[in-house]
Amino acid sequence: MNDFSSSEVIDLDIPDSEAWNDFALAQGWSDGMPLVMPTEAAVARFTAAARGDNQTFAPISPRQVVPTLASLAANAVMAGCKPEYFPVVLAALRGVLSPEYNLHGTLATTHPCAPMIMVSGPLRQALDINCGSNCFGQGWRANATIGRALELILLNVGGARPGVMDRSTQGSPAKFSFCFGENEEVSPWAPYHVRRGFAATDSVVTVMSGEAPHNINDHGSTTAEGVLTTICESIAQPGSNLIYGKGPYVLVLGPEHAETLHRDGWTIEALREEVFRRARVHISRVSKENRESYASTGRHPDGDWYPMSPTVEDIHIVVAGGPGKHSAYIPSFGGTAVCSVRVALPA
Amino acid sequence: MAGVVIATETFRPLVLAQAKARKIEPKLVVVKHPVGGLNATELAERIDRAFEGIRELIAK
Amino acid sequence: MRIINPSFGVMPAGSEVLASGAVDWLKDPIVLFSNSKPNARELLDGLKAKLATIRGIDNIGYAQKNSASQAAPAETLAEVAQSYRIALLALAD
Repeated sequence: MNDFSSSEVIDLDIPDSEAWNDFALAQGWSDGMPLVMPTEAAVARFTAAARGDNQTFAPISPRQVVPTLASLAANAVMAGCKPEYFPVVLAALRGVLSPEYNLHGTLATTHPCAPMIMVSGPLRQALDINCGSNCFGQGWRANATIGRALELILLNVGGARPGVMDRSTQGSPAKFSFCFGENEEVSPWAPYHVRRGFAATDSVVTVMSGEAPHNINDHGSTTAEGVLTTICESIAQPGSNLIYGKGPYVLVLGPEHAETLHRDGWTIEALREEVFRRARVHISRVSKENRESYASTGRHPDGDWYPMSPTVEDIHIVVAGGPGKHSAYIPSFGGTAVCSVRVALPA
Repeated sequence: MAGVVIATETFRPLVLAQAKARKIEPKLVVVKHPVGGLNATELAERIDRAFEGIRELIAK
Repeated sequence: MRIINPSFGVMPAGSEVLASGAVDWLKDPIVLFSNSKPNARELLDGLKAKLATIRGIDNIGYAQKNSASQAAPAETLAEVAQSYRIALLALAD
């Protein structure tokens, strides 16, 4: 492996894409899947698409270097993005660089967290970001490559190399790519970004360092009370980082569960209060050693119950997905925050 | 202020990479992995090794 | 073929090499700093007992991060820097 760290431009004698991918793997630039070559011309198309974003970037942990727009674009090119996705990638990067996101901690941890990217607002449709059936899965170029681009930036500029600076014990498939859109069209409530104070016409990227989605299956309940019981009991897991580290989580309601909850009169605010009250782990489900360990760092149960988030405000509820009786719970790393950033688009 | 990091062998590469990124030359004492999950008898070996490492640093 | 280096970045200003001054291990105040992971405190307590066998002065204190998953607060670091000359950091895991 050559040290190209001080050169922004590299001249290569590479005969074909196979040789390019071998070279990129040898440099440690790859997530293991084939990469598009970041030629000067391709990168120029991406930087042109980001001309609405003129702010500098903070140093990226753990390597602590300041990226250039071109080096960021090179990662988006390699990920397979279209140029028009690049402003979304940059907004996601700004989100994870927010101090409260705790990027360093989320990358160096043994926990299997990955940067969850959720897109709200008009760009979802303009870029064909999947918000419906299989929204966490495969098949959509925007979902697959926007999440991958951010991961490649954290790997290549940030230096979060698995096994060295990224110390995750088992990792997660979410570390390849974790991007989805909010299904605003079928949600019975206001879009998430509007609830956070953005205009409905804004396109907003929300990031959180989270685990891959945990499924919440409830085909049998016909009432909000029934669905809520399943949701709260599914969230209350003694092995969660949220007991150990405390932090936010995202509840992604499938449209059919959302409709049942809405039909029975639940608002988002009331749901958050109820989930905060009921999604708790009884002390009998936590080992004695763990209880002592939590107590030694000031983490005590509320009565006989461990809450799963510090406050009601740490519970984030959105609607995404398609038909079916499934929802999802995305626990965070713990010591992190949910950060929303408006996508800066060219005027 | 002088700092000494006591880390397990598994986390040695992370400490060194972090120190390099921050342009620090770390004083590092390495003990066997893990530290968490050990009982008192098992932990005693890590304490002995850490103390030995500190003594080596003092002697330098 | 000319490509853009995807790992390129520049060092931020003020990232010069840092060095610490000389210390007296047998007399200077020492802080045992835990990363708040299980057994970090126990490891440091064991070290404290062993250090007492070679140090004639009882000036070893203890500090910890608020959370294993987050950086120590700046005020904690400032207090530690003001009160001690040597820090032993346990990165238990």
